[in-house]
Amino acid sequence: MLTILGKKQSFCDGVSRRNFLQIGALGLGGLALPDLLRAESQAGRSVSAQKAIIMIYLPGGPSHQDMYDIKEEAPREFRGEFNAIPTCVPGVRICEHMPQLARNFDKFAVIRSITDSASDHSSFQPLTGHSRKDAVQPSGGWPSAGAVIGKLQGSGRSGIPAYVGLNGSDPKGGAGGGFLGASYGAFSPSGKGRGDMVLNGVTLDRLEDRKSLLEGVDRFRREADTSGQMNGMDAFNQEAFSVVTSNKLVKALDVNAEDKKVAEAYKTRGDRNLNDFLVARRIVEAGARFVTLNFGGWDTHSKNFETLKKQLPVLDQGVTALVRDLHDRGMEKDVTVVVWGEFGRTPRVNGNAGRDHWPRVSSVLLAGGGMKTGQVIGATDRTGGEAADRPTRFGEVFATLYHNMGIDAAKLTIPDLAGRPQYIVDPGCTPMKELV
Amino acid sequence: MKRPSILLACILSFAAGAYAKPAALQVEATGEPELMLRGKDARQQLLVTAKLDDGALRDFTHKVNYAASPAGIVKVDSDGVVTPLADGMATVTADVEGVSASLPVKVEKAATVEPINFPNQIVPIFTKASCNSGGCHGKASGQNGFKLSLLGFEPMEDYEHLVKEARGRRVFPAAPDNSLLLMKGIGSTPHGGGRRIDQDSDDYRLLVRWIAQGMPYGKDTDPKLESVEVLPKVRTMALNGEQQLVVLAHFTDGSVHDVTRSALYEPNDKSMAKTEEDGRVTMLDQPGDVGVMVRYQGKVSVFRATVPLGQKVENLPKPVNFVDEIVFAKLRSIGMPPSPDSDDATFLRRVSLDIAGRVPSLDETRKFVADADPAKRDKLIDSLLDSAEYADFFANKWSALLRNKRSKPTDARGNFAFHSWIRDAMKANKPYDQFVREIVAASGEIEENPPVAWYRQVKDPQQQLEDTAQLFLGMRLQCAQCHHHPYEKWSQQDYYSFSAFFSQVGRKPSAVKENEMIFHKRGVATAVNKKTKQPVKPAGLGAVPQEIAADEDPRIVLADWMSDKANPFFAKALVNRYWKHFFNRGIVEPEDDMRETNPPSNPELLDALAAHFVKSGYDMKGLIREMTRSRAYQFSAMPNEFNKNDRQNFSRYYPRRLPAEVLYDAVNQLTNAPSSFAGLPAGTRAISLPDNSFNAGSYFLVVFGRPESSSACECERTQEASLAQCLHLLNAKDIQDKLSSNSGRSAQLAADPRPDDQKLGDLYQLAYSRQPDSAELTLAKAHLDKPRKDAEGKPLDPIAAKRQGYEDVLWAILNTKEFLFNH
Repeated sequence: MLTILGKKQSFCDGVSRRNFLQIGALGLGGLALPDLLRAESQAGRSVSAQKAIIMIYLPGGPSHQDMYDIKEEAPREFRGEFNAIPTCVPGVRICEHMPQLARNFDKFAVIRSITDSASDHSSFQPLTGHSRKDAVQPSGGWPSAGAVIGKLQGSGRSGIPAYVGLNGSDPKGGAGGGFLGASYGAFSPSGKGRGDMVLNGVTLDRLEDRKSLLEGVDRFRREADTSGQMNGMDAFNQEAFSVVTSNKLVKALDVNAEDKKVAEAYKTRGDRNLNDFLVARRIVEAGARFVTLNFGGWDTHSKNFETLKKQLPVLDQGVTALVRDLHDRGMEKDVTVVVWGEFGRTPRVNGNAGRDHWPRVSSVLLAGGGMKTGQVIGATDRTGGEAADRPTRFGEVFATLYHNMGIDAAKLTIPDLAGRPQYIVDPGCTPMKELV
Repeated sequence: MKRPSILLACILSFAAGAYAKPAALQVEATGEPELMLRGKDARQQLLVTAKLDDGALRDFTHKVNYAASPAGIVKVDSDGVVTPLADGMATVTADVEGVSASLPVKVEKAATVEPINFPNQIVPIFTKASCNSGGCHGKASGQNGFKLSLLGFEPMEDYEHLVKEARGRRVFPAAPDNSLLLMKGIGSTPHGGGRRIDQDSDDYRLLVRWIAQGMPYGKDTDPKLESVEVLPKVRTMALNGEQQLVVLAHFTDGSVHDVTRSALYEPNDKSMAKTEEDGRVTMLDQPGDVGVMVRYQGKVSVFRATVPLGQKVENLPKPVNFVDEIVFAKLRSIGMPPSPDSDDATFLRRVSLDIAGRVPSLDETRKFVADADPAKRDKLIDSLLDSAEYADFFANKWSALLRNKRSKPTDARGNFAFHSWIRDAMKANKPYDQFVREIVAASGEIEENPPVAWYRQVKDPQQQLEDTAQLFLGMRLQCAQCHHHPYEKWSQQDYYSFSAFFSQVGRKPSAVKENEMIFHKRGVATAVNKKTKQPVKPAGLGAVPQEIAADEDPRIVLADWMSDKANPFFAKALVNRYWKHFFNRGIVEPEDDMRETNPPSNPELLDALAAHFVKSGYDMKGLIREMTRSRAYQFSAMPNEFNKNDRQNFSRYYPRRLPAEVLYDAVNQLTNAPSSFAGLPAGTRAISLPDNSFNAGSYFLVVFGRPESSSACECERTQEASLAQCLHLLNAKDIQDKLSSNSGRSAQLAADPRPDDQKLGDLYQLAYSRQPDSAELTLAKAHLDKPRKDAEGKPLDPIAAKRQGYEDVLWAILNTKEFLFNH
């Protein structure tokens, strides 16, 4: 049973990852000025309002050797059913079912040699950059990269959450705030926080009336509090009124408000839509820093090719439309797009025409963020089973993502709940020279 | 290396003169009557202290002029650093406005370059320049192929990597300046870390000489670092005042070296003091106590400063117990007049929230305010301690810290059992040592012995030792798992010795599905030190290793050690934790980071509370009683003109936002619209929820920071303000539904025939335990009397309009800081 976006998803382990997010459905960590200042002084750079990351998570583990790493020379039981086609970048060939990506490959980069998958059937590693299976976990747990960025940089604009999880997350996944606290976890527009952003049973006039009443009633002397909590709350109250009255987020989430011509590029013929791809761009444009969306259906233990034939063209269209759209708007230097799953799939096709989990190597597709695109980094061996060149860790990709956001991950530590300073990427991971 | 504690430098006294002119000066170096500089590399930071007319001591190190006579023996720069020029005796004189003092200096072997010792002289340079920090070459994987040990804790390894690795190209004795180490360090070759060392510095010259000498490691017989000492140790300083520190390294041969410029400095409260690399400490504008941690090569020391405000303190109430006596003594000594006593209504609300986790009912408020009994506050405390809500509230606190977490649905029975066990212990006031013993040494099945549930969440010996240390001893040992603790004396040996207590914890499947049984696995308790690979015996922190027989459960020995009356950590950790609960700031802050280099703001208070707690037989309710009946606890939160900036002397109550559960209950009580929790009886309050699993169904609890019970740290509970919280309170459907509920407070008040004045009086008492003043009444009544329209713009009938009016007033009240905070 495979995925239709937004509906129930099921992996081979039988655990449902329905669009959950009852936990940590907030991510409104903006306005934390001291955090921001500290991060800037640690990282030595300040950040433009437009800097953002869109992460397209492919739950289930996409089949790397059927997408960007076709083994044309390998025997058929490894090669599978798909042929490779040339891209606009000489010498780079990818799957025939991703023709739009091929035509626009100058705007993309692929790393074919991610080697340190934790073999964990969840979004934890793609969202946090860390393995949940490491012996030593920070007290309070690893936060997702979106939580870190929300904590450090806040939102680009008021009225918009810094970290938005469009397709929710699985409860076992990595979308939460970890040791930063639940309030830094992904804000899910489909989750419970959304209701708080639109007026609930009161008219705008009445809210304004209440606001002026509150100003009269709330007379407690702020000087009694030197912790900054009360003043912080006052500032957040102003911000909250602006969220409710301006409706910025609600507007950003509304795909019908998009220019018809632009929206056309995201329209699919089948029943699987690409609305979240468009919404991701709209929210990022409105000021969000980190937006995740899920595009599921990759746990192809059986009927791998039949399934991929259906969904590769949709992914192809979505990713290409998004990246072209960013280029058209001049956002390609600021917004990084990353597309990946938790692991790759077995080189040898199994008896059910499927491929099983393969943590030893997988691929990631990247675009934008001012990175050097139109290239393939790393390589796998003859059958796509092991990295043959430039083995790359999840953490290196995260160091690159942070770098694109103006965060020097090698210098930045954040204390966990035990007070131990934690580096936000795994030791030794630095931005990839090939990309930055 | 004992030396007289009195200041031995010559003191020349003059009559008091112009402003800032000291009555006397003194020059110190190492505390010895004479300064000895041996070898060309020797140097010494001087410490010049002025005694003012009022007896106060002030740092004048950077305010005096220095001279040395006869010339040619030593040089003194304007910062007071003495370096040798030639052998002989000289006198260094410091002078300001005609007041002077001097110190004899003896120089020996001024031309001799002593052989360099790598651990003692070279490694500290890497530490100071941050080469071996955790973000650079000090991390486990090194940086770009070059690895140093974290903060230089392993000089042997550093030597290996520097001298022998990379085919020796990092150091180049034939032309030391061309060594990769130096070219990278000064940034003349591209270096990811940029320029770390100045080419024109003593450090650079020392590195060059070391390489030129052929990179000696030093001899086995060379002295080793024994301790570091900071001068002065304590000082009373002025607001915005400055103090030069002198840091002395004591070696095993008795020699003392000045390492002021190689040591690292860090204040424990950055809002009070800032430090500079040369050992200067500057106070900011906060009165109180601050500790500055001084670190040098794995040894730590601390400088403690008290910054008085210096006001006359004449408004102290009569102390009721030792808590008052000590808090008041501190206020007197730093000259900070406290806020006045809180009024009855404020006290009632405060103490009910702090002990029972709830706001008082209307009835309780009326009775308490009207009660003329002078002992009514003490009686109230007693009755709150006896109440079921006290047990609920503290069970909720402990349940989170003891990680009573629902990880999977089948955990539920254990969660309920453990929560109820904790609650019973609180209710019955089980002595704290026994409470801890029954958890740490728990064996059996959850069903029969619920504290076994702790072992379900806290799985391996390392987690067990870390949680035990943090929760029950106030020590964060995590760092020492992989390396010497950078801020503490604890080493990996200490860490693994402590973990050995948990080495014999056995698990086996229980008869109940998915449950485990915890038992003592017969065997002699040992653990392996990850660093030395040697087995270690169990030992308490700072205690001697113990031989524990194979049949004996080592966890019982651990419990014995912890609850021993002489244990230096156990009682202090609890009293500090509870102090923070009631006073909203620990005497040591954060409350579970009680290291030597993070000194308490009032050590006498911490000691006295701990002693009282031990003497009382670890009586938790008794401890709470002492704290809350003190006048110090009962000060108003409102600052006077002097104590506005006070954050650590307890001269007033520091307000704090209500915890998530308490706030939710308070909102429900105010709106008279209870919430329901899946699977629990109607009317269950948030404060009595048995575990974290109910967070998933309550956005309110999550957004206000109810913890998930995944850490032994209170800090998992986030008290931080956030936009989501404000949005929720201002605009959530959940809240609006409570306000507009047909059976809720607004509907009741609208239907109540009494005049609005009386109804508003009730409402204010419910929310704040006090009556509204006339301005508040006028404002609220004006709002209630406004004409109202429905969504189509038609006027509402009077009852519906009144109900909307009350909804708005309730809405406004529950968004006020006076409601949201305990104050």
